[in-house]
Amino acid sequence: MRQFLSLLLGLSIGIILDVSAFGQDDSLRAIQSKGALVWGADQEGGGPFVFPDENDPNKLVGFEVELAELIASHIGVPAQFAQGQWDKLPDLLDRGDIDIVLNGFEWNSGRAERYGTSIPYYIYELQLLARKDDESIQSWDDLITQPAGQPRKMSLLGGAAAEDFTAAFAAEHNTTIELALFDGVTDAMRAAELGTDRIDGNVQDLPIWNFYRKDFPNLKPVGPPVGRGFYVALLRKSDRQLLDSVNEAINAGLRDGRLRTIFERYGMWNEVQALRALETSADGGFRGLVKAEESNGTRTAESGSETNATNTPELSSSQSLHGLKVITQRGWFLVKAAMMTVLLSITAMPLAVLIGLLMALMKLYGKWFVSIPATCYVELVRGTPLILQLYVIYFLVPEVLKYLFPGTHFSISAFWSAVAGLAINYSAYEAEIYRAGLQSIPKGQMEAALSLGMTRNLALRRIIIPQATRIVIPPVTNDFIALFKDTAVCSVITVVELSKEYYIQARNTGAIVELGLLSAFLYLAMSYPLSLLAGRLERRLGKESR
Amino acid sequence: MITLNGIVKRYGSQEVLRGVTMSVARGEVCVLLGPSGGGKSTLLRTINGLETFDEGSIDVSGTQLIGGDIVSREAALLKIRRKVGMVFQQFNLFPHRTVLENVIEAPMQVLKQSREQAVGKAKELLARVGMLEKSNARPTSLSGGQQQRVAIARTLAMQPEAILFDEPTSALDPNTTAEVISVMQDLAKGGQGMIVVTHGMKFARSVAHTVHILHSGAIIESGPPEQVFDNPRQEITRGFLMEAN
Repeated sequence: MRQFLSLLLGLSIGIILDVSAFGQDDSLRAIQSKGALVWGADQEGGGPFVFPDENDPNKLVGFEVELAELIASHIGVPAQFAQGQWDKLPDLLDRGDIDIVLNGFEWNSGRAERYGTSIPYYIYELQLLARKDDESIQSWDDLITQPAGQPRKMSLLGGAAAEDFTAAFAAEHNTTIELALFDGVTDAMRAAELGTDRIDGNVQDLPIWNFYRKDFPNLKPVGPPVGRGFYVALLRKSDRQLLDSVNEAINAGLRDGRLRTIFERYGMWNEVQALRALETSADGGFRGLVKAEESNGTRTAESGSETNATNTPELSSSQSLHGLKVITQRGWFLVKAAMMTVLLSITAMPLAVLIGLLMALMKLYGKWFVSIPATCYVELVRGTPLILQLYVIYFLVPEVLKYLFPGTHFSISAFWSAVAGLAINYSAYEAEIYRAGLQSIPKGQMEAALSLGMTRNLALRRIIIPQATRIVIPPVTNDFIALFKDTAVCSVITVVELSKEYYIQARNTGAIVELGLLSAFLYLAMSYPLSLLAGRLERRLGKESR
Repeated sequence: MITLNGIVKRYGSQEVLRGVTMSVARGEVCVLLGPSGGGKSTLLRTINGLETFDEGSIDVSGTQLIGGDIVSREAALLKIRRKVGMVFQQFNLFPHRTVLENVIEAPMQVLKQSREQAVGKAKELLARVGMLEKSNARPTSLSGGQQQRVAIARTLAMQPEAILFDEPTSALDPNTTAEVISVMQDLAKGGQGMIVVTHGMKFARSVAHTVHILHSGAIIESGPPEQVFDNPRQEITRGFLMEAN
């Protein structure tokens, strides 16, 4: 036994040493020894980058799939795909889950500072999109105007260059443009097409728009493409040898025309590609051949043409911040977002309890044509996830209403969609809690009330429901705390609450730990008083009725 | 005041009430006696509609319930229940309300009395059953006998023409039984009509005007207590009385 233990100890020390050796050394050798280049991308709404093959959904296609194979074969290993949510791919890189990110990440100085960035493999431009029936948007300059007295609102992929470009455009023209940030490009375009939540339009990478345009027949491109920039591969900063190999592979592909063949296959080739920069400078930026083209009307959001460009907002805020400094500088954002979390919870929960009580009453005391729909509602809502319900409310309900009442423009704001989603989702659980509570009231209570001449409704209202409410307070409070934490899911429909704001700030500053601790503290500071209150209520009501 | 005509109630194929016919006059104290499972409680609960019945009819001061009819039942029941109160074996006080609130609830909600009016009447009734000083207590802090006295006051607050007592002392120990019985005797002497399901022979003998012996869902013998107790005509009655004594 002792021998076995020491063997185990020796082995584990060996593993630890081995790992730390990998950590210091370049990943290139590790990749060659494990025999695969693990590359990360998001296949959700991923065309033409990475997406499931129409004919064989098990197979992934896309120009980045072929690019990954091109790079991997240069290193001498097969490419292995790893799925990740787009804006979280750099984190997967930091965690060591993947070796390289190939997913339309735009070069910018902030990224170049934190990650190893390859030479560009594609030059993209941004396209402004608006609804075909919206005459008020004919050019970028129309975004400066505020026809309804409200700022224009654009849907965007969170963390992408389109966000920086649009924000910079608004700042440059001293106007406000509201940004609704989505996790997926197709969601952002759909929201623009439907006009959900007052969204006027969308700013999209041109290749993405070209790929998906047939799916969004009511969107039109507005003006010429703008904001030229570069897609680059992201690597860990320490992986210099790997970066060299990746650059060699891209260069070779450019020279012998293989990259052009790939891009042509996806309808992405254009003359602009000929302008591509081929050299990477020592500081992680690159010396581009692209001229800033303000003269002929197109804008460059951020390009390598001006080396060491330092005038963009992204750069000034992406200096790594740590310790108390990041807390004092960014803490307020988290506190404000925590207010949103509270507001969502205290608006949604009373609604959930009310709907739940109604459903429980319908189930228990209604005739069959009342109780059966209530049962169906509870089972349907309880059996589907919150995230799906939020999507349906946010995207589908406006579409259905548009279909039912043609000509009217209907939209639900993200906030009220979130409140409705949370309320509906939790109402199913509250219904079951209330059902159990109502059933636990002895039959004699109803009989006594009826015998005193009360109607059934009066007896329920005055005698049965008040008693059931006392019984359900502890489980309902539990659910309130759960709902409170589930507000984080609402970020999928662009509500920025505490978790989302944490992610935005952490990504922006790199202070994952400090801001994470602050967020955890804020959640605890909000939910712990609730637990205390629940305990007190439970004790007080317990004393009253027993 | 209350007339039952050929009441039949079935659970599936089993008849638990087999054509019961009886009537109770205004101010009459009527006691239902008989072995357990004879249908006494079920019969009592059909009168104020806590149980349905399949055949026959019930008339309470001109309001009719017809066996098997569920359509016009609700409206009729509301009328009947205002005239006929009920006191339960398990008291069924409302635990989330104080003693006083239990008594004023129905007068305020059903009869739309003002709070002052309801409270004044409630205090008078609580004094009558000896529970005035517990007005602000919670029902759960009271003994069984005290709870039952409050329940009687609660029923009286609706000024019923008759009160149905469903084994009001069966859940009580002998000491507290006496408190409740004495309250009921006072009521009976004061002219309150009542129908009482009980095992207490003493109560029946002292205040009942009429005693009915119920056996297997049918009334087998009726009459004034002295006649039924001292000269029972039926063999079953005799056997039951022997066992009960």
